[in-house]
Amino acid sequence: MARKWILLFILGVIAVLMAAPLVLTVFTSLKPTTELVNPAWYPPRDMTFEHYLRVWTEGGFSRYFANTLIISAVDAVVMIAIASLAAYAMVFMEFRGKMLLQLLFVLGLMIPVTAVVLPLFQIVRSMGLLNTHLGVILADLALAVSVFVFMFTSYFAGVPKALHEAARIDGATEFQIYRRVVMPIATPAVVTTALLEFLWSWNDLLLRLLIMTREEMRTLSVGLLNFQGTMTRDVTGLSSGTVIMAIPVVLLFLVFQRSFVRGMTAGAVK
Amino acid sequence: MAGVELKNLSKAYGQTEVLHDINLSIADGEFIVFVGPSGCGKSTLLRMIAGLEEITGGELLIGDARANELSPKQRDIAMVFQSYALYPQMTVAENMGFSLSLEGKSKAEIAEKVQEAADALQLGPYLDRKPGQLSGGQRQRVAIGRAIVRKPKVFLLDEPLSNLDAALRSETRVEISELHQRMETTMIYVTHDQVEAMTMADRIVVLNGGCIEQVGSPMDLYNNPASEFVAGFIGSPKMNFIKGPQATAVGATTLGVRPEHFEVGPSDGAWAGKVALVERLGHDTVLYVHAEDAGALTVSLSGQHQQQVGDTVYLKPRPEFIHKFDQNGRPITM
Repeated sequence: MARKWILLFILGVIAVLMAAPLVLTVFTSLKPTTELVNPAWYPPRDMTFEHYLRVWTEGGFSRYFANTLIISAVDAVVMIAIASLAAYAMVFMEFRGKMLLQLLFVLGLMIPVTAVVLPLFQIVRSMGLLNTHLGVILADLALAVSVFVFMFTSYFAGVPKALHEAARIDGATEFQIYRRVVMPIATPAVVTTALLEFLWSWNDLLLRLLIMTREEMRTLSVGLLNFQGTMTRDVTGLSSGTVIMAIPVVLLFLVFQRSFVRGMTAGAVK
Repeated sequence: MAGVELKNLSKAYGQTEVLHDINLSIADGEFIVFVGPSGCGKSTLLRMIAGLEEITGGELLIGDARANELSPKQRDIAMVFQSYALYPQMTVAENMGFSLSLEGKSKAEIAEKVQEAADALQLGPYLDRKPGQLSGGQRQRVAIGRAIVRKPKVFLLDEPLSNLDAALRSETRVEISELHQRMETTMIYVTHDQVEAMTMADRIVVLNGGCIEQVGSPMDLYNNPASEFVAGFIGSPKMNFIKGPQATAVGATTLGVRPEHFEVGPSDGAWAGKVALVERLGHDTVLYVHAEDAGALTVSLSGQHQQQVGDTVYLKPRPEFIHKFDQNGRPITM
């Protein structure tokens, strides 16, 4: 019994530490400017949404939100298509150079993002895609594709080979097997890819800072920097912007939580 | 419907050849069973016919047309897998109609054919269920239904009963035999269970070490085995093999006596042995006997008998049923 209480206490402390920054940010975003002199952990007395409105309109967050949503959604959808097709070929098809391709994907997992950001920027620039959604999307896909190919490969490896063979006997082409037999049973992997890629894309700062230099092309993460000058800091603006940025991700995770956890643990046990 | 012909068929993985020079002619509408121990190549051979394994050498003809390079679809075959291989996200009806939907058949036509197959297999009440909601036997029937709905030229069945319990296995065995009689389609069936082979096949192909040991009707194989291996593999309980003076006395290396071909009687000229174990099956009594002259013997007596563990019995093989084998395991003809 005592052990249980100790465990609960430790978990409680961890939960408070994890939740505190988020709670403080929400508090700050809802406080009128006059209340900012109070300690940060004081809840707002006269709750106001004025900072949200200011950030959304004057701060340009409506445009940043749209930019971020377009890029993240396209990233997620295209990543599912590319990674699952590549993983399907790795698992279910035999072709020359398969080993080499697998090796290249593994290599992609090992190279740190910061090491390839500049070459990637050069490539995007040489393609004339600076300040375009497509430029960022291509760079995002290139950086993360190895991870998701690896994830889909692990998931597909658990699909019985006999299913693929039965579909071949039934007369299905490889694409029909992919679309009608394999993908419908890979929902956890699809959801996990969609969520993770969406999340990474949504939160990324570095690539967007490099590729999206024009004001109207900025994303939320870059937009947040507007509230932080060298000498000054718009704390309420920063907090409201952060909450606006966090809400879609939290909602997505809550909706797809179960499939996400299944996808992350796929293959962990028999 | 079509016959199948295997001409000098071989299969190698790299330098290792696992099937050697297989020649076999399967008649249109025949029920043929590939049987053999694990690793003998029977499933590989079936998968080569299906188009799931590449043919390394030789020629495969399905209905007189060379099929080596054809895809599984082009071969017009259907296959039932050991693991059922049902699509888990589809209902029973969708599983059964999948191949027809790929052929672009209309929904009405698919529904009609699926219903027809479901009626034949008593699957009507389960058409809207997913495979996960079915028992093992029902899943196997769906797998068979998926195969018959297409009316293919050849049916291939890869150990379809091995995941079922004993009672369900014998029930499904009968169903498959009846299905074959109704459809009159060529069926090639792989099993390691010689009882399945004996009860279902028109002809049995016994494989061993990647080679065909013997092809023949079940009774042919039982009465006239072409080798010691076939003699030991076909029949349950398996044939007794006796080496030593008893065999050399009649000019053989090994004597083969089936358990039911012993007479238990008086001691004159018979092999004396002690009963080590008795299995009372009701219709038969099986004795496991340690004979001084012949070693361990299995004796199957028709009906119910009173022998007890520790009893001494005198066994005499019936001369007309004794099999003689030379040092290569080949039969010596008298």
